[in-house]
Amino acid sequence: MGYLTSGLALIALASLAGCAAKEPVPAAEQAVTVDFALVAGAQPVNCGQPFGPLGRDRKRLALHDARFYVQDVALIDTAGQRVPLRLDINDWQDAQVALLDFEDGSGHCAGGTPGINTQVSGQVPPGHYRGLSLTLGVPEALNHSSTELQGAPLDLAAMGWSWQAGRKFIKLEVDPVGGVTKADGAKASTWYLHLGATGCSGNPVTGETVACQRANRIPLTLPDFDPGRQRVVLDLAALFQDSTLGQDRGAALGCMSGPSDPECVTLFARLGLDLNSGLPLQPGQSPAFAARAKP
Amino acid sequence: MKGRGGYRLAGLLLSVLVAWPVAAQDWRWQLPSHVPEPRVPADNPMSAAKVELGRRLFYDPRLSATGNRSCSSCHLQERAFSDSRALSVGGTGELTHRNAPGLANSAWNATYNWAAPAIVSLERQMEVPLFGDDPIEMGVNDGNRQQILARLAADPLYPPLFRQAFADQPQPLNMASVIRAISAFERSIVSVDSRYDRYLQGREPLSDSEQRGMALFFGERAECHHCHGSFNFNDQVVHARSRVVDTPFHNTGLYNIDGAGGFPFPNRGLYESTGKAEDMGAFRAPSLRNVEVTGPYMHDGSLATLEAVIDFYSEGGRLIASGPQQGDGHLNRYKSGLIARIDFTAQEKRDLLAFLKALTDDSLLHDPRWQDPWKRRP
Repeated sequence: MGYLTSGLALIALASLAGCAAKEPVPAAEQAVTVDFALVAGAQPVNCGQPFGPLGRDRKRLALHDARFYVQDVALIDTAGQRVPLRLDINDWQDAQVALLDFEDGSGHCAGGTPGINTQVSGQVPPGHYRGLSLTLGVPEALNHSSTELQGAPLDLAAMGWSWQAGRKFIKLEVDPVGGVTKADGAKASTWYLHLGATGCSGNPVTGETVACQRANRIPLTLPDFDPGRQRVVLDLAALFQDSTLGQDRGAALGCMSGPSDPECVTLFARLGLDLNSGLPLQPGQSPAFAARAKP
Repeated sequence: MKGRGGYRLAGLLLSVLVAWPVAAQDWRWQLPSHVPEPRVPADNPMSAAKVELGRRLFYDPRLSATGNRSCSSCHLQERAFSDSRALSVGGTGELTHRNAPGLANSAWNATYNWAAPAIVSLERQMEVPLFGDDPIEMGVNDGNRQQILARLAADPLYPPLFRQAFADQPQPLNMASVIRAISAFERSIVSVDSRYDRYLQGREPLSDSEQRGMALFFGERAECHHCHGSFNFNDQVVHARSRVVDTPFHNTGLYNIDGAGGFPFPNRGLYESTGKAEDMGAFRAPSLRNVEVTGPYMHDGSLATLEAVIDFYSEGGRLIASGPQQGDGHLNRYKSGLIARIDFTAQEKRDLLAFLKALTDDSLLHDPRWQDPWKRRP
């Protein structure tokens, strides 16, 4: 059953509306838009309203930042083949990577960027499609480029990760009501998730960063996905299900992908990643991400 | 105001002197025969105009978000471009996690910062102080980047300098050019004229004590040379003709929290990046050139004097008897095999200290090429 056939046929039909009386000419490509959303269970999440309670300690949260990159976006056709989405080029996506951005710089998100982006758009050859696959991350060849030399959407200093000469794939930050208590008893306001490739090393002879021990990219496969009726959600209730957001037991505040960070131990499992290897636990699956019906 | 107009004029004269087009060939490394030419990235060739632009930017607080910090706030020429503090203060008052390293001869570094194997060029290193938010140093971000560049563009001195330094670019005044120019200036900070260098060239003798210290330094008892044995007195060196470069990191027994080998977060060295137990507390050996003026010492500035550093190595580690960092560093299970109790005599310590002081390059500390150009008076 090809969920997508109807939606794409509609788009194709619309584009041919001007010559409806003539023999339909097969369109060279079909436009596809994939919607994304940030939610906490059934609640929408944005910079304006606190949300929750989430986590083991049931904390109310204010959003501080929420952005992530996706690469290798493809539709899955009825034969099960991945057909790459040829990404439209704009300020949110280049030919290989798109940025989803749910913060608008208001409220607790102060310091962010004003625009938001909740869509990935592109073209596929005409066909019958029924699923979606993508990877949370930035392709290796682009990950270690400089934010000051690379074009949009890889030109954001906020998504740079200078200690690994790379990028944050996911930047998700929340301010729990009552703050975060650190291991030494000190208080902080923000709980951070920074996901990116770690253990990277460069080649001093060429001056280029060449390899990382832990890729920390999350491949996601949604075998039954209809972009007309569904969207991809990052569900913070699912992501933080096992986290204790009012407390930090050591290393970085929250989880900055540190392989021995106690907060990463619980969070990586919910991302679907093995903390030690940086590889997916079950390729294609991430408990934090799901297909949901559009509202 | 008269002085201001004066150095505008000086800038104009400079513009004429280094008139467009500026070829990379106008840069000459002036190095003694025991020092190889450094590697220079192909996309950022050296030129006199670029180095001069980089010097202006290095000393310009307008490059910080708050307008109160420049690169030179933490890298002072008279301190061999370190800052005499254990930890440095960023633009919003936050302290850095680690000690500000000196910049002399950083052109030859294979990696930068204290334990960052991913960072293998000055250009990429600069993103840390420029954009870093843990802690904020210069505080540049997506929200203020254009405003900061506009500040620079508003000074009549800068646009022509950017055009000269980056003649191949239609719009050269951008943050990438800022990074490249400051990197070129940093590469130009070369320190190879210490009394030791002059001794090697037969131009100046070393004292008896300095020579005894040198013998200790390069000998198999003190073993300093294993990690500090290159021409730059470190063990991570890349130069123009390097084919393969080792990037070792070392645990010297500074900590041993709870006897489990631990170093305090976020200063666990290479371990922060790799997560491998054996990388706990492993840091890059810094160059010992000008070490007399680069204290306090170690990655966290936790040894105040050079005498304390020599005592530390003589003992082969540090015991912290109480408090949250309690532990006997001598027994750190991840300590480098090269660090063992040496038990220097008092005379040996004095000799070693004398030799280390012979690595001070007075010209580095005073050469007008590296001084603050905004302070110059006509």
